[in-house]
Amino acid sequence: MNESMLCTKTHEYVLETSKNKYEVGITDYAIEQLGDIVFIELPEVGSEFAKNEVFATIESVKAASEIYMPISGKVVEINEEIVNSPELLNDESYENKWFIKIESSADQVEFADLLDYSDYKEEVE
Amino acid sequence: MTKQTFLHDKHIALGARMVDFAGWEMPVQYSSIIEEHKTVREAVGIFDVSHMGEIIVYGEDALPFLNKLVPQDITKLVDLKAVYCQLTNKKGGIIDDLIIYKLEENKYLIIANASRIDEDLNWMVRNKIGFDVTIVNESHNYSLLAVQGPKACDLIKSLGLTDLPEFFKIKRGELFNINLWVSRTGYTGEDGVEILVRNEFSEYLWDKLLDAGKDFGIKPIGLGARDTLRLEAALHLYGNDLDEDTTPVEAGLSWSVSKTKTADYNGKSVIEDQLKNGGRKKLVGLKMLDRGIARHGYEVYYNNEKVGIITSGGISPIRGDNIALAYIKPLDNLTVGSTIQVMIRDKFHNAEIVKKPFVAKRNKA
Repeated sequence: MNESMLCTKTHEYVLETSKNKYEVGITDYAIEQLGDIVFIELPEVGSEFAKNEVFATIESVKAASEIYMPISGKVVEINEEIVNSPELLNDESYENKWFIKIESSADQVEFADLLDYSDYKEEVE
Repeated sequence: MTKQTFLHDKHIALGARMVDFAGWEMPVQYSSIIEEHKTVREAVGIFDVSHMGEIIVYGEDALPFLNKLVPQDITKLVDLKAVYCQLTNKKGGIIDDLIIYKLEENKYLIIANASRIDEDLNWMVRNKIGFDVTIVNESHNYSLLAVQGPKACDLIKSLGLTDLPEFFKIKRGELFNINLWVSRTGYTGEDGVEILVRNEFSEYLWDKLLDAGKDFGIKPIGLGARDTLRLEAALHLYGNDLDEDTTPVEAGLSWSVSKTKTADYNGKSVIEDQLKNGGRKKLVGLKMLDRGIARHGYEVYYNNEKVGIITSGGISPIRGDNIALAYIKPLDNLTVGSTIQVMIRDKFHNAEIVKKPFVAKRNKA
């Protein structure tokens, strides 16, 4: 996991890749807790979401979980690979575990409740 | 306060993730549910199912008493034979599903669901007026280990128990110098045994079986895979697929109900009527055609009309598709091959009604 990512208490992360561009996914801790991941539903490119809005659904063998936007934004790319092969998320050698890439003009207020990865790890462990 | 089985520390040492199930802290998975599932289908797995209840019923009237409680004909049960039963209420609804073993004349063993032991005992006590029987809850004294899979019986035989009981029979035996009961039953659709042993020996037996099972590819299996295995075999889970408002006929369990039983039993008039005329609903198997997983409680539609509800659903690790059990209205045009819709997150997803079980059972070798 990239140390500069910011995390929510609901286990999503957001990572700035360039100005106003971010990738969004779920944390390694969340993946481990979910166990075998068997289904992922991602939004369409072009759709827009507010902070804390549900943008995806992920299902393990046991249950379905909703995934929330850590910040507001517009979807510019989705990870088709994990949609087609959700089990890749459980594969430790697979690195492209991001869900969506977004463009966002979120201001500091939206980032205020996000945690540094190290603080997040402390929180969950 | 959640209860722990006598194998709790073993599960922790094996790295299990523990969850609350029916008031018990139980292992849901050790490694991966899918891997554990495949181990049971391909080799052998060992399960701690000590949360399940053991009730002994004995006395002069044990037979007529049990015969009043279930739609099965207990008079047909011979020594050391088991029968799958439903404890029915006056309306034919299922209070619990059970396995009843005849241990000897006037003495029976009942294996009950952990979540239903209290209800079962209450119901039995309410029904025992006029019967000379004693009902003893032995659940706290016994551990239950299930050894399941195509190599399960080979493993047990290799340990000296060469003449295993036949399907749905039980016998006393000895493994590693421990006295126990071995029954040819399970909840996976695979061949295998369930071993009833006094609590003080369960840790020793668990370790010995895991060690001896290495050559057979044994793995410990959690409740997660237990659930996916039983779903593929279309075996009912109480609380999901069975409840007090559902009769054995509606649950697709007519095969287990005696059609010739003369004795009266709770719910007999309703069940006999439904055997002739059908129930208010019927349990069907579904295969998802569209991408999506049907889960307990999701609604089922046909021609935009709600016709039913999913009771169990998930992935089938063996088939590689998504399957479910659902109660639907008994409409003539809804049969095997019909396409219906499951509402998943406010969208219709096509599913086909298919025959059960989803994966062929291999337990009657």
